[in-house]
Amino acid sequence: MTVEPWTVKYRPGTSRDVAGNKTAIEKLREWIDSWSEGRPTKRAALLYGPAGVGKTTVSEALAQERGWDLVEINASDKRSGEILSKIAGLASTQSTLFSKGRLILLDEVDGVNLREDHGAITTILQIIKDTQYPLVLTANDPWDPKIRPLREACLQIELKRLGVRDGLPLLKSILSKEGVKTTDDALRFIIDKDRGDIRSILNDIQLLSGRNRTLTMDDVNLLSGRDRTESVFEVLRVIFNSRTVAAARRALSISDLDQEMLFQWIFENAPYQIPKPDELERAISALADADMYFARIRKTQSWHLLSYALDLMTAGVAVAKQTPTSGWVPMKFPQRISSMSRTRMSRDLRKRVGVAIGQKSHVSARRAQQLYLPLIRFAYEHSPEKFEQIAVWLEAKDELNEMLSAELK
Amino acid sequence: MLTLMEPALWTEKYRPKTLGEIIDQEEIVSRLQEFVKRAAMPHCLFAGPPGTGKTTAALCLAHDLFGVRFQDVFMELNASDERGIDVVRTTVKEFARMASLSSVPFKILVLDEADNMTSDAQSALRRTMEKYTDTCRFVLCCNYSGRIIEPIQSRCALFRFTPLPDEKIVENLHRIAKNEGLKFTETGLKSIVEVAEGDLRKSINTLQAASSMSKGITEESVYQVVGRAKPTDVHEMLNHALKGDFIKAREELRHLLVRYGLSGSEIVRQIHSEIFRLAIPEKKRIDLVEAVGEIDFRLVQGGDEEVQLSALLAKLASEAYPGRKT
Repeated sequence: MTVEPWTVKYRPGTSRDVAGNKTAIEKLREWIDSWSEGRPTKRAALLYGPAGVGKTTVSEALAQERGWDLVEINASDKRSGEILSKIAGLASTQSTLFSKGRLILLDEVDGVNLREDHGAITTILQIIKDTQYPLVLTANDPWDPKIRPLREACLQIELKRLGVRDGLPLLKSILSKEGVKTTDDALRFIIDKDRGDIRSILNDIQLLSGRNRTLTMDDVNLLSGRDRTESVFEVLRVIFNSRTVAAARRALSISDLDQEMLFQWIFENAPYQIPKPDELERAISALADADMYFARIRKTQSWHLLSYALDLMTAGVAVAKQTPTSGWVPMKFPQRISSMSRTRMSRDLRKRVGVAIGQKSHVSARRAQQLYLPLIRFAYEHSPEKFEQIAVWLEAKDELNEMLSAELK
Repeated sequence: MLTLMEPALWTEKYRPKTLGEIIDQEEIVSRLQEFVKRAAMPHCLFAGPPGTGKTTAALCLAHDLFGVRFQDVFMELNASDERGIDVVRTTVKEFARMASLSSVPFKILVLDEADNMTSDAQSALRRTMEKYTDTCRFVLCCNYSGRIIEPIQSRCALFRFTPLPDEKIVENLHRIAKNEGLKFTETGLKSIVEVAEGDLRKSINTLQAASSMSKGITEESVYQVVGRAKPTDVHEMLNHALKGDFIKAREELRHLLVRYGLSGSEIVRQIHSEIFRLAIPEKKRIDLVEAVGEIDFRLVQGGDEEVQLSALLAKLASEAYPGRKT
């Protein structure tokens, strides 16, 4: 049941397919092409901009469309000066097999750790000096003092966040390929909310449209929180991939989803993200414990208990999972939330019906639903005239008809 | 509100009007009739399982004390709908402090489902009860007297309602069936009695539901009414879990909760009886009983049905997992 993430499925094949940043990409392309006439004065380009604007993607696309090798070193690799000169240094000076072209990509240079990646900056400067092939550096923050020496040596190119102008057509074409109906306001909202981060945007639209093949404001509103700092997806990813209590708890600080809403997201996804049954048992048991704290809070309004509930549902789940998941498992939309919104109207209706029955039968609206709805439902299915009699007496004929006909659909 | 129509719900149509009509609970009835005779009564706490006549007894008591038109001196509040301190402070107080104008020198306020009140609201209620003792008597109805705070309990005369014996239920079903001109078989009625487990309201509701089928009240139609959640579905859910498939098991659980509208405690009860039919080692059965009991307890405490029952399913799924460390 693997579903390909749209971030992979719709990765642009060529640099011309990249949405937005036309001028910046053109500048980079010209610089790369200028290598065919000998080494240019600036032998490295520094691509900078926030996460998810396509820095890596553009570099990869440019290499691919030229049939060049791409030598990539990114943040997850260790990058001491020694290692850098071994990999990037060799790659930058030795010629390629069949004298193919080559692009060297040093991803996230501002993520270099001065202590652990000892000597990295000096080595990079040396590589820039010696390289026979175009060298592309990427950074989120070009003004980081660490990389100041690199700035001077590089052609600086800024990639901006995806705006609505470029974003809308891109998302629309993806969604139409996926057969998802959508509206402009919903897409605008998502682009705005994810602050132009294409990766988050694609993750969010894949998640949201997975429910019923639509992506409208109704679907979007389920994400709640106009100024959420991170997509739900990101928050869940943190929780399900943290190894430590501290890391998992941090997920809360990047989420401003309602806590019980977040609970539903975690509860829904736990079995998919935690495939090992014994680990899942511990995770669900932590969630069940958290649920009890929520119950106590509701009952006694003792809000100081909230922190225990939150620890259990984040850290409790995180430490239960010890085996990392292999491959990408898509996040699921919580059934509870989706059925809540789909039946928000019918829940109101149920409540009104409950009140109507309760008034006539000396029980609370909630108990009335439990006690009498099965009977009324049964009459509705088997004997229209008996149903009619009851419904009229309850003075809730329209409500009951509406509710039961919707239920049977 | 005056409705001239006769009640369409049989539980209402056949609800006793006077204490004398109440089925079973003889001891309680005679104590209450004593109150009527003396036109005096203490605050009362009616405790007992659903469908044993608590609210009915309160209504009948008011009727016998005040006569047919008891609306002005009688108030019924449902604590689940109108709980919270505010209601106690305003509605209850307003009603309680005004002296009765009838021949009986006090009013009666019935608080249904009182064990659903928060303890704060109960404390507030306790003061009101004390302050207006001269003008108003309280009848609190609850399933569990233990959930009523001590100070209120000690101010009330406690009445314990017990599940009705099967023969009383069957007698009552007979009476209704005749009156409604129903087609029925004895085994049909007997199976209603079985599912009702001493709950008179449940027995009447089941009878009325089954009566909407053309074949009348037979074992089969009753089974169809209560069998909406067939025991096999719970069985299936457990089997998915025992095969290690938590996701399928949870899906089945959602089915039972949403589609069949089963309550969590009903599912717990069914699981409990299934435990002894599952193909698992004897020792595991007892472990499971404990786990099920824990969940039952948690549901009573207000835990979420789906989440708590999922924990049990995850436990079962993990037991099934061969690579499990022991």
